Amino acid sequence: MDTTAHLNSAQNTETGGLAARLLRRFDQRRLFRTSAFRLAVIYATLFSTLSALTLGFIYWSTRDQIDAQVDARLRLETDYLINLYKSGALPELLEAIQRRNQIDTYGRFYYLSNKEQEESSDESQETLPIRLKSVRNHATRNLGDVADLPPGSPRAFNPVRVAETTLSNGLKLTIGHEISDEQALLDHTFALVVGATLLTLFFSLIGGLWLGTSVLRRIDSVNRTASEIMSGDLSQRLSVTERDDEFDEISTKLNQMLNRIEDLMKSMQQVTNNVAHDLRSPLTRLRNRLEVTLLEERDSANYRAVMEEAIGDADSLIHTFNAMLSIARLEAGIDSAQWRETRMGDLAGELAELYEAVAEEDEHLTFTSDIQSNPHFRCNRHLIGQAVTNLLDNAIKYSAKPSKVKLSVRGNDNAFTITVSDNGPGIPEHERERVFERFVRLENERNSPGNGLGLSLVQAVVRLHSARLSLADNNPGLSVSIHFEPRRKPKPKGQRSKKAKLTKISANQEKSKAA
Amino acid sequence: MRILLVEDDIEAATYLVKGLTESGHIVEHASDGERGLQMATSNAYDSMIIDRMLPKRDGLSVIEELRRMGNMAPVLILSALDDVDERVTGLKAGGDDYLTKPYQLSELTARLQAISRRAQTGVQGTVLHVGDLTLDLIKHKVTRSGRNINLQPREFRLLEYLMQHTGQVVTRSMLLENVWDYHFDPQTNVIDVQISRLRSKIDKDFDTPLLHTVRGAGYKLQEVGNTAETS
Repeated sequence: MDTTAHLNSAQNTETGGLAARLLRRFDQRRLFRTSAFRLAVIYATLFSTLSALTLGFIYWSTRDQIDAQVDARLRLETDYLINLYKSGALPELLEAIQRRNQIDTYGRFYYLSNKEQEESSDESQETLPIRLKSVRNHATRNLGDVADLPPGSPRAFNPVRVAETTLSNGLKLTIGHEISDEQALLDHTFALVVGATLLTLFFSLIGGLWLGTSVLRRIDSVNRTASEIMSGDLSQRLSVTERDDEFDEISTKLNQMLNRIEDLMKSMQQVTNNVAHDLRSPLTRLRNRLEVTLLEERDSANYRAVMEEAIGDADSLIHTFNAMLSIARLEAGIDSAQWRETRMGDLAGELAELYEAVAEEDEHLTFTSDIQSNPHFRCNRHLIGQAVTNLLDNAIKYSAKPSKVKLSVRGNDNAFTITVSDNGPGIPEHERERVFERFVRLENERNSPGNGLGLSLVQAVVRLHSARLSLADNNPGLSVSIHFEPRRKPKPKGQRSKKAKLTKISANQEKSKAA
Repeated sequence: MRILLVEDDIEAATYLVKGLTESGHIVEHASDGERGLQMATSNAYDSMIIDRMLPKRDGLSVIEELRRMGNMAPVLILSALDDVDERVTGLKAGGDDYLTKPYQLSELTARLQAISRRAQTGVQGTVLHVGDLTLDLIKHKVTRSGRNINLQPREFRLLEYLMQHTGQVVTRSMLLENVWDYHFDPQTNVIDVQISRLRSKIDKDFDTPLLHTVRGAGYKLQEVGNTAETS
């Protein structure tokens, strides 16, 4: 193997690269185990056998054809001479034979012998063979026996095809036809057959090796990437070429799978980070509050006040925790049997009623509702209610004083939109993507109560219902819309934006400190 | 009230026993399902608090077994599983109410009282009375001291729920669940606003307030407000 490859590269610099590559493969001994190579060997064997059979058939039929031609010529001559003999002119026959032998240009020999005397027909032709060797019975119709001239004859070792005819008075007419040219042609043909077969075998094996290496190369790249991913680098992706072949197809699929896994991993990581940074800080705060209180004796009113604050801290922790769990569950796509056909207008109306009452009590707040339709929608009423409530709570919390909050429902059963708008500071265009991330709170809301999970939860609910969330300017203020398109085929669960979102941990920490 | 507490978390159980005992109940504790079932069948309890997941025997199967045996004592299910589906399963198994951990003690006592009362009074009349306040479920009419009070449909249901639980603390989430059928809680004080509107209709023009706020817990509709901290 080694030397073959070495020779290859020495002979031809062109194939040197291939040989080196092959050599490398050989070392790994994997090439011969590839299915591509196995297939190539099978095909090589198959094609070589087939081509050998085809060429062999051509060889045999050529040989038959040559034999037939030679025999035809011999028969023609024999017939002519026999006719001559039958007409009774033996001298003429002898003369004809002699003449023919003299102008022997076609490699033909004529010989007339007496059975008893073994008499040569022509003394001048001493070179003619006296005895015929290896007379073979040949089924050549009216042709006599056919024999090859023995070695030692004038044209030594040249094969001769012979027709023998016994004449009436013990005479035997022998006509020989030298077939060395034909034999040479046949030999050449035979060499061609063997050569072509070997070449086919050789090239199909080379092709198999090449195919095997190229398959291995693709597989190796997949393997390498897989190893890198296993060692922790989830951002690696399989390379996809422009050929768009089956390898690319499978690579694309695997890449999609990796994207999904990476999303989930990041989401997990995010939750872990969140737990670490957003729950630890308030817990520390709570602990410190209690610790400081215990430092010295205080009156019971003081203790009561601190404990109430502690309960408040604990409550907000529980609230944060519940929200995180809800989001995690929603994002995991855990479905609920609670999905019912719901009149969305009615649901919005109920909520509007609650918030209208709130606005009536609060002179700084104006709440209006604009519910233009009452579309049917199969959903989890509690989740949608929670999402819209979160939006309304946010709108009230962040809007400027005097605030104007509006809830509207528009559209029909096929597509409808629930919009909550306010007249607050709004969210700058470049921050809009970020506010859906968990625990993200913008600069201007650091000091207001909240855990930064409200919009994340809304986003999760919206995704679970295959709806779409959009933020827009309300000039001034923010308008958040949930677009439902129930009549469109819902996307399969889990098919979400590929964009991975990482919480800005530093921002959270700052927030915690500020609070 | 004599209460059976079936809870495997000893720390939580100790705290619950303490809290409930302090509010005047007699509490007996079982730490696994088998023991709980055995105690429930051999003694009579006014109400039971059963954890959803218990060693030896699952909380739900304990409740199912009790109901099958004809024990109709009100049961409050405690669970760490917070899902509407889980709640439905729990109630189907025979529980009367479902409370998710972590919970506030005040929430638990309020709910416990609510289900015990329901069990005691049985079928309620079609006309509810609290002091001079009357609510007619059939005629859909509310009067106080003979004066007609006009209520919105939702306010009517709110008052109905409060009157059905007269003298008991009713929490905000109980109101959200039972009056609005919301299993989520708005951050905005929507319930407080609804209560204050209702209060302005039933209490404002009268000398004695009926609807009281219980600090840190919820609301209470009661004829004599001296037992509760009123605001």
